[in-house]
Formats: sequence, structure tokens, C-alpha cells
Amino acid sequence: MDPDIIIEELKKYIETNILSEEVRINADSNLQQAGIDSFSTVEIILFIERRFGVMIPDEKLVPENFRTLKALSLVVQEMLN
Amino acid sequence: MNTNYKASLPRKVYLSGADCFHLVLDKHARKHGAGGNVMRKVFYFNKALSADKVIAILQGSPVIYWLCNITLKPGNLFGIPYWKYSDMGRNILLHHHKEDIEKAIPQKILERDINVHAERFIEADLVSYPSGCCAFILSWNHILLDAKGTNLLFEHLDKMAANRETRLDTYFPAKQKGTGMLAYIRNMYKVKSFIQHSSRKPVSSIATVNCKSSAGIVKYRNIHFNSTESEKINSNAVQTGSRFGPTLFFIACCAKVIYHYNKKNNKKGDIWLPVPYDGRMKGATGPLISNCVSFLFYRLPESALTDIHLTVKSLSAQMTAQVKDNIPKRYSMFLNMMRHVPLWLYYFLISRTGEGTFASFLYTSTGDNFKELKSLFGEPLSGMALIPALTYPPGFTFVFMKHESGLSIEIAYSPEVIDWNDLLLIEQNLRDTLFFEY
Repeated sequence: MDPDIIIEELKKYIETNILSEEVRINADSNLQQAGIDSFSTVEIILFIERRFGVMIPDEKLVPENFRTLKALSLVVQEMLN
Repeated sequence: MNTNYKASLPRKVYLSGADCFHLVLDKHARKHGAGGNVMRKVFYFNKALSADKVIAILQGSPVIYWLCNITLKPGNLFGIPYWKYSDMGRNILLHHHKEDIEKAIPQKILERDINVHAERFIEADLVSYPSGCCAFILSWNHILLDAKGTNLLFEHLDKMAANRETRLDTYFPAKQKGTGMLAYIRNMYKVKSFIQHSSRKPVSSIATVNCKSSAGIVKYRNIHFNSTESEKINSNAVQTGSRFGPTLFFIACCAKVIYHYNKKNNKKGDIWLPVPYDGRMKGATGPLISNCVSFLFYRLPESALTDIHLTVKSLSAQMTAQVKDNIPKRYSMFLNMMRHVPLWLYYFLISRTGEGTFASFLYTSTGDNFKELKSLFGEPLSGMALIPALTYPPGFTFVFMKHESGLSIEIAYSPEVIDWNDLLLIEQNLRDTLFFEY
């Protein structure tokens, strides 16, 4: 799957379900600074499982992989492959 | 700011589900003489503040003015309680104190009650110390503001000091959308089953219900960690499996300490712990007024408390399961529905489930809410502390707070539950657990 499509889907989910209307993000935004906390991270992981049908293994559950949408999309893409 | 805002402040603000829950907690606290549901935030400055400047900022704030001119209305039968604002011309008062011991908080402030019939729901104090430093203390009833709301209030005051624009429209809660009766009933059933299962006996509470706190004395102990110590704690959180922030590690450490304390005192049962969670959308700048918290409920059996890695793993699995089941949102909906229940019945239902015990102990965290708060009234802060209300039983609360790069823990306790020697033992165990080489 094209990483841009993954980024777009993640962005849409996070902006609609987690972030306040006044907070908008792009591929390089720092998600923690945007307000994403540990609880929200679990919500994102569960969304990835539902939407893309992949489980993120424990060793990939590190803060670096959840820093930006771009980093997260690379993990999803790797799992899809 | 001019005073034209007074006429445009909302005349009627309904209590949220979490506000009503705090109303019940207030009743509970008074019944057990634990000092009421009053929160206090302390800001330390390395210089004396001008009392005139502080009072001018406080009295110019529309939010503070609203808080000084409201009365609680219970609502009609099955009606939702609400705050009624009328311009009674009451301004906030700034009380002055002198304290001989640096950073100490006058007992008078700690003992001041702000109950639901109070004239003002917010009080301000300025404490001068011999070194020339001072502390500004704001006290309020928890029914009105939660941790995020408090942070928004202080940001608002700081903006006012700098004559920067503040957005009044985002400060008050928007009207909630109605929920269909069928959805309500389905949700009630699911939440009731979850809570009953989660809080089932045996629960190993730090205090027994029979031990009634008659004097209403609450004591506090602050533990502060510098930036190097805080980094070590954060690193331990990652080592033990708390991957996205240290919260689960903090909870695990507290649970472990209380487990060992209870074991020493032959109190058997699982640790049961409701942990508050901010229900606002992330990054939201409002509402400031009203509690928007929901809860996550954790239950830790002895088998999960023998090793901190196992405790974090168990907490993590329970958090994931609750996110999957949408428990915090469902619980918020449940609390919203409970607003229609008369207070006496609400109190009966809540206190009956856990036979008067609300948790094994209480854990709360201000999260990153105050981490970036560097100034107040335009003056740089040298430190801060949050003094929580104490729910009794359990009569023991840990509050974790981050400020800049340091972590601090405030412990609120009833001396009837834990004596000084036991408190020191708990503190040492907590330090050892936080700093262990994992």
C-alpha cells in the first residue's frame, strides 16, 4: 500500500476521533506535542489492527515509531509487506 | 479587561456527569469528616508578588467573577443540577498570610472548607516567607474544575496579566447532545456489569469503612525529584514495559507499595484502582469549567504484584481491553445518566457497591497539564504543588505531577489510616521501586 494513503487514513482517524477540532496535523507533526497520550496510542494501535489487518509486534511498540504519522506509516507498511 | 462581560456570562450551566459524581464524593467526604472535596494549587515565586497586581488580575477575570457569583441549584425531580449565575457583585478576596517556615502552607488554608453552600467557590491566598519569597494559593471545590480546567484557568490568568486576548466562549461547557433511551439502557447494562465485575470482593483497601475519620484531618507529604532522578524514573518506565509514557509504571509502583503495606497488616484481597482520564478531545482549549474526566478501572491480583514487569503488563492489557470496549466513553455516558438520579439515591447506589470503599487507594496524575506552565501573573514560577481532596475511605492518595523536567509526588493521607512511621516506610518503598535497577 502507498505510504501516502496510510498517512492519510491515519490522519483522518486521529483528527476525527482523538484530536480537538482546532488541532490539525501533517505527516511530520510530533504526535505527542499534538496531545496524543498513552491511551490515545492504544486507540491508534487498535485502529491499525481493524483498518489494515496487521498487528504491531511488541518490539515495534517504541515511542520512535509513534513520533510522527510518517514513522507510523512505515511500520504499518512493513507489517503489510 | 473592562467589566462588560458580566452581563454576557452564562446564567445557567448544567453539571456534567463527572461534576455530579464529585457532588456525591463531597457528600461522602463530609460524612466521613475527611475535609471536603476541596483542591488547592500552590505556586511558589522567588520574590514577593505585588498584592495589588494579583488582586487586579484576579478581579478582572470573567471566569473568577463567575465562580464567585454562582449558586448550586438541585434541579427538579429527575432534573439535572445546575449552577445559576446572577451578578451579585461579589469579587474574589485575596487573603494575606505570613509563614515562618519556607514553603510551608498555613494550616488555616488547609482547613478552610469550600462547600456547596459557600458564598464563593474559589479562594485566593498570598503567603510571605522570611526569605522574601512567596506562594500564591488558589483553593476551589472540585465539583467545578478538573486538572485540565485548572491548567486552562492559570493560562487564562497569565494571559490576562500580559493583556493578551482570552476566549471566553471556550471556557464554559457546550450544551450536550442527547442520547437515545435505548443506547442509554444498553450502555447502563454494560457499564454496570463491568464495574461490578471489576470491583468484586475481596478488595484490599488501605482503610476499613468502620474506621471513621472523626477529626477530618488531612496531612500531606511532598516528594520531589530533580531532572536527573526524573530521567532515571522515565527510563525505568520504558525498561519495565510502560512504552508510551510512564503512567502505567507509576501506577504499578504505587500498587506494589500498597500491596506490601497491606500484606504487612494482614489485609488480603486484590488491589482495585479507578484512575481518572481526561475525556476532552486532545489539544482542546476548553471547557475550563466542569469536570470532563472519565475513569479506567484496574484490578490487580496478588499474582500480578510479585514483579513490576508483570504489574505493568497486566495494567497494559487491562487498558487495551477497556479501550477496545470503549469503557471510558461508556462510563461518561453512565455518569451523565446518573445526573437525573436524586443525590441521596445516587449516594446510596455508589457507596453500596464497594460497601463504602471507593478504591484500595487513589492514584491521580496531572499528566502534562502543568509541565509547560512557567509563569503566573507574568512572573516566573520557582515551583508548584497540587494539594488534592482526600476521599475517605481509602484515605490515601498519590498525585503525580510533572513540572518542567522534574517529577513530584504529593501524598495526601488521613493520620487515622496511616501513622507517620508507616508513611515514611511507604515513601521509602516507593523511592526504592521507582529507582530499582530493572
